[in-house]
Amino acid sequence: MLEQHTAKLADIDAITNGFAELGYICSKSIATAIFIAGNLEKPILVEGPAGVGKTELANTMAAFMDLPMIRLQCYEGLDEAKALYEWRYAKQLLYTQILRDKIGEVLGGVETLAQSMDKLHQHSDLFFSEQFVAPRPILQAMREEGGSVLLIDEIDKADHEFEAFLLEVLSEFQVSIPELGTIKAKQKPFVFLTSNNTRELSDALKRRCLHLYVPFPEAKLEQQILRARVPDLTDALMQQLVAFVQGLRELDLKKHPSVSETLDWAKALMLLNASELDGDLVRQTLNVILKFEEDITVVDRQALELVRMSEKAVRH
Amino acid sequence: MDGGAPAGEIDKTIVNFIRVVRGADVRVSVAETLDAVAVVNFVGWEDRDTLKQGLGLAVAKTPEEKNRFNACFDAFFAAVADNDDREDDDDRPDGPVETDDKLAQMLLDVDQSELMVAMEEAATEVGIENIKFFTQRGLYTQRIMRQMGLEGLDAAIREAQAGEGSGQGQAQGEGGDPCGQGGGEAATLEAARARLFEATRDLVEKRLSLYGSETSRDLREGRLRRSRLGNLDRRDQEEMRRLVAKIAKRLAALHSRKPKRRNRGTLNLRRTMRRNYSNDGIMFELEWKRKKIAKPKVMAICDVSGSVATVARFLLQFLYALHDILNDVRSFAFSGKLIETSDFFKRHDVDTAVDHIMNAVGYMPTDYGHSFENFREQGFLDDLDKRTTVVILGDGRTNNTEPRADILKEIHERSKRILWLNPEPPPLWGTGDSEILRYRPYCHMHREVNTLAHLERFVNELVHVVKASS
Repeated sequence: MLEQHTAKLADIDAITNGFAELGYICSKSIATAIFIAGNLEKPILVEGPAGVGKTELANTMAAFMDLPMIRLQCYEGLDEAKALYEWRYAKQLLYTQILRDKIGEVLGGVETLAQSMDKLHQHSDLFFSEQFVAPRPILQAMREEGGSVLLIDEIDKADHEFEAFLLEVLSEFQVSIPELGTIKAKQKPFVFLTSNNTRELSDALKRRCLHLYVPFPEAKLEQQILRARVPDLTDALMQQLVAFVQGLRELDLKKHPSVSETLDWAKALMLLNASELDGDLVRQTLNVILKFEEDITVVDRQALELVRMSEKAVRH
Repeated sequence: MDGGAPAGEIDKTIVNFIRVVRGADVRVSVAETLDAVAVVNFVGWEDRDTLKQGLGLAVAKTPEEKNRFNACFDAFFAAVADNDDREDDDDRPDGPVETDDKLAQMLLDVDQSELMVAMEEAATEVGIENIKFFTQRGLYTQRIMRQMGLEGLDAAIREAQAGEGSGQGQAQGEGGDPCGQGGGEAATLEAARARLFEATRDLVEKRLSLYGSETSRDLREGRLRRSRLGNLDRRDQEEMRRLVAKIAKRLAALHSRKPKRRNRGTLNLRRTMRRNYSNDGIMFELEWKRKKIAKPKVMAICDVSGSVATVARFLLQFLYALHDILNDVRSFAFSGKLIETSDFFKRHDVDTAVDHIMNAVGYMPTDYGHSFENFREQGFLDDLDKRTTVVILGDGRTNNTEPRADILKEIHERSKRILWLNPEPPPLWGTGDSEILRYRPYCHMHREVNTLAHLERFVNELVHVVKASS
């Protein structure tokens, strides 16, 4: 690891503060995970419900370490051609077309077939060299001189085969390209994998990563996040809002509102110049935090009660 | 970074800890153990909070595992820390009693830390980490006490008793006993010995709950796997649910692990040529053949009538577990009539969902024919396609109503495969009102399933069937 990296990851408080300055309020467990993973140079697998800031964590890490952020979004059918490298086929073809005349010149002096073959063999690897490789995110991350932050987003969406393919990258920080050989990372990247747990990841993958679970934040942490992200929000409204959202997470809903929804809601309320929550306001803006019709109907019925509860929570 | 303890000792503690964690059903591989050691070396032992979180990162890889890991961590390090800062409230002898036995001296000492350290050492010496069953408690307690020098203590007690027996006044007269309570010495030592016994047994029990949980869990699981589902105790339900979930997870893994086939790699020559006409026939842009990704669908139909009431809850639990892990599952429950239950499972936790379903359709006399008709009437037949696996859980006892095997035939024709799990043992098939023999021809697989072991075997067989057919 480079020296300037070690300095930045020297202790947990420094990480917490550094992240806070960038607007990312992290709990102790997140800071510890960054601290340990960064120093032990291990990939982190981040799991948790959608919208708790898993991707944002990697973004902030890149900003904090002042490194380029390389992101690989996973989806079903993703293969190494999209993730690692691809031969620039069109370029190869174009070059062969252009070089066709040149070949005549190269082969000009020879007489026999064997001799021309020999001649050609001297140039055989020309078209499978680094110039013709189109690097995809993983190879790109390996090639960064000063290190990088590699985010492999929503790994659970990719296929099993792709997971297996990642194993070499995660444990050895190297990739094998048959025509070129093995390419080792110039500087080990900080690797983040995120998963929404739509399917169970393989043990082999989990074994190679540290595992961080990011739950919904507690009320206090959520308030801090709101303060950092929506600084104009008044304290009273913020407390009420957080208490309300925390109350929603207790309910039996299809999808619970996440931090990102809380932030959106806070911004929406700011636009509406609201100073405090009331039943009508909640009903009108419910669609910002709840994404399913059924959930909205469920909450709509209990809106007043929830508002009252959140008011009580603020007074205490 | 921890300079104090020698390396070997660190490893032993962490290795023991990993064993404890494994005992709590957290899967820890060797690589993860090495990670854990790296974390310990990096963080050190002092900062317990960071250590706990750091080890948690390296070792526990699901939220549930994290919970279990945290409990283990607290228990383990409390046990290890016990010997340093144990406040002892035992009633202690008021004055010091002189003896020359080392163990007795430690026992009578006001500061108990030395004793606890000695006990810990003795426990390590006799290999307490090998304790497996609660029947071994006595054995290990004895071994530890002997290791600590119990014989010397006993000898001292005998001596004191002999001394008292030979002459009561002698001790006081000679002034040999500085406390002036010579008659009490034997009693004091006896009390100390009893205290030692208590403390040792305490220690052994704590270790048993740490180290023994693995073996006793295996035993318990083995018993649960083999016993008939109808005969299970209520208190085993929780354990059972875990096992069912485990098996369902296997099934899910089978589904998600598609047989290896490339979805790229062969050139689609026709499309490539067509696309490159404009390039003068030089093939700049390539078109590849692609395989469509088939997502499996599962439809499960579960009999919850009186005749299968004992196993119905369990079958529903299995369905619930399936819902948890597979995306495209629809489930139905029936006895007299059939209802779709997918929503119950999605919205409620397993107990509530099962209760809801049992209240809605449970315990009625079965009518397979009518239920199959329901299935057709409500248009579920149209949702079947060549990717759908239909799982039917039931005994096929129709109460002498029309079995309507023709509808099952229709299901058979429209779906990929039908699997029938029957809680009845084979000799009963086709007896009485059982129409299973008429349903059977339409099932790709028909198995007796009334213990967990059966369920497991079924899932394993299914793996082969799926592999063979794809």
